[in-house]
Amino acid sequence: MKKELTLISSLAVAALVLAGCAADDSSQPSATTTVTAQADGSTDGGAQASLLETVQAAGVVRCGTRDALPGFAVLDTSGEHVGFDSDFCRVIAAAVLGDAGAVEMVDVETADRFTALQNGSIDVLVRNTTWTATRDGAEASTFLQPNFYDGQGVMVASNSGYNSVSDMKGAIVCVAKGTTTEGNAAQESSRQGLNWEVRAFDEVDLILEAFIAGQCDGWSSDVSQLTGLRTSYPDGTNALKILPEVFSKEPLAPAVLDGDTAWASAVQWAILATIQAEEFGLTSANVDSIRSSTTDVGIQRFLGVEVATSDGSAILDPGLGLPTDFAYQVVKQVGNYGEIFARHLTPLGLERGVNSLWTDGGLLYAPPFR
Amino acid sequence: MSPLSSVSARPKFWRDVRVLRWVFQIFVLGVVFGILYWVYGNYQTNVERSSVPTSFDFLSNPASFTIPGTDFDQSSPVSAAFVRGFQNTMLVAIVGILFSTIVGTLVGIARLSKNFIVKTLASAYVEIIRNLPLLLLITFMNLAVVLQTFPRIEDAWRPFDLFVISNRGLALPWFVGSGPTLLLIFAAGVVVSLIVMKLERARADRTGQKSRAGIFATLIILGFLLVGWILLDYSWTLPFVDGRGTTGGLRMDPSFFALIVALVLYTSSHIAEIVRGSIQAVHKGQGEAADALALSPGQKMRIIILPQAFRIAMPSIGNQYLNLIKNSSLGATISYFELTQIAQITVGNGSPAVPAFTLTLMIYLSISLATSLIVNFFNRRLALVER
Repeated sequence: MKKELTLISSLAVAALVLAGCAADDSSQPSATTTVTAQADGSTDGGAQASLLETVQAAGVVRCGTRDALPGFAVLDTSGEHVGFDSDFCRVIAAAVLGDAGAVEMVDVETADRFTALQNGSIDVLVRNTTWTATRDGAEASTFLQPNFYDGQGVMVASNSGYNSVSDMKGAIVCVAKGTTTEGNAAQESSRQGLNWEVRAFDEVDLILEAFIAGQCDGWSSDVSQLTGLRTSYPDGTNALKILPEVFSKEPLAPAVLDGDTAWASAVQWAILATIQAEEFGLTSANVDSIRSSTTDVGIQRFLGVEVATSDGSAILDPGLGLPTDFAYQVVKQVGNYGEIFARHLTPLGLERGVNSLWTDGGLLYAPPFR
Repeated sequence: MSPLSSVSARPKFWRDVRVLRWVFQIFVLGVVFGILYWVYGNYQTNVERSSVPTSFDFLSNPASFTIPGTDFDQSSPVSAAFVRGFQNTMLVAIVGILFSTIVGTLVGIARLSKNFIVKTLASAYVEIIRNLPLLLLITFMNLAVVLQTFPRIEDAWRPFDLFVISNRGLALPWFVGSGPTLLLIFAAGVVVSLIVMKLERARADRTGQKSRAGIFATLIILGFLLVGWILLDYSWTLPFVDGRGTTGGLRMDPSFFALIVALVLYTSSHIAEIVRGSIQAVHKGQGEAADALALSPGQKMRIIILPQAFRIAMPSIGNQYLNLIKNSSLGATISYFELTQIAQITVGNGSPAVPAFTLTLMIYLSISLATSLIVNFFNRRLALVER
């Protein structure tokens, strides 16, 4: 009898607990579907849940970056991020929020960068990331206007006797891990039948040690990075040389999460504004005077100045969800493309090369602002 | 039965401690399941919202990278890279476990030595190595020992003209022929020698003569290898420097060397402490009994103390084996192509991160669980059967 009572009461309690669970069951999935529906809604064009609005409400852009790549993003003595990529983070903040300083630099590891984008811990990734088909497709990211066209090369010791990549038969080539560098080196080795041993390290410092000790014959990376690393080599810049061959295309582009067109367009046009500004000859120094004096309708539209029309005047609002003077803010607070390049990459010894305006035979070309 | 006694025998069910225990158990179970369900729901929602890729289709894509010292090329599928990473992790695990057990046991015994120098050296070894972070030890082995102490390939050390030692690896003399077949011959030798050892021991027990089981076993295994070597036409190859690398022999990756040495140093310092503690935990009377039987100190340790000490040490040493396997993932920092390195590289070359690392986790978990099973099996065999 006693046993039965215990059993019955425990069953009753179990039923209660299970019922509680069941109630949870029914509420949980419904919550799930609402959230999903909202996310889907934003994808289909409802500007309501776009990251653009979220960022404008929060008043800060969280920009995925790094802290140890000379020229592109390094920490200065006061702990600020300085570099080409860091400035493009500021360009986005200036365009979206009107304040180049309203940016939170989030250092992300190479292997984690897309996960950071996917889980929403960063709003945009500006971290010398190569735009490839697989990343565009499989990593749920949308790549935008490349801010730097790079290519992979090999750096060797000046006294190594190597004068071209094809001399390096059976060499050990060291690369940094977590990027396409490895695959490109392997591909070049098999294409030329060089039989390279490609070793992949976590940190640039470890490659440097291995290179100095003679464990590596070659150091392969994007030419822009090699140029930067060469200037900081302990035995001096001339102890190393970069071989002439460039064997990969590396368009380094900012990336945002797939499915948020409004945010993608905003970032896209922020980058394009720097290119257009250089084409117009607008710099952070002269933009104020040109803005007040110019009669060029193209520049007026670009800077968000009132343009005289047949029935009065109007300010061009392209409907990107950005302030109408976003291009002015970008140029005024950060500068045009050429200024940013000259500030961070020219000191490393990098030439403009393919990163010139289309009018100078380069690849930089902004669609018209009208 | 009086009413009073019936009441006291059966309290109201909400005050009955047996009922309350049940209720509490079920409540806890409910909470645990509730949390798990909530976590899973969150995962599902977030995966869907952020469109994180979760498919494992990438495993059949071409890997597009190469693995040094193997025929793995860029057209091999990603799955083959994971297999290679698994093999390398297992290689580190097996070699590491073997050597750290041997070194650990010797150092553990040495710590109890009556010889002052031996004892002090063993204590210093344990106290220094055990208190260093492993990552530091591995980095040190790579930077200070392999890169700085070992010479460049141009002026490689060539002891006895048999080895080539440089910071591009250690090349040893090796055989030419089928490795698995040689292993099979070796295994056959071991099986036969085990049978002979059993017979020899039985004979020694029966007649009271000295057992020669060890010598017989060694001779039998060597005999098997020698006959197999001649019959199957095996031969030697010696390594020599060839341009910027070595040809011939077996080349050991420099990062493999650094990783194994660091792991063995680290794990053996822990095993040494376990062995020392276990020896001290063996009842003093056992040693005194051995002395009373006039066993030599070596015999006393080998026959009386160690078998009992290992019974005590086995579970803790098993933990150290698991640690070693998991710690081998630090080899990725010095470019040893084990599982973690493969996972990082394949993600860098276009495989989606979340499924690739999930797969890596699963493989590590399987290796660890399998090791646990094996250790538990031996532990049960060693455990004292109490009657």
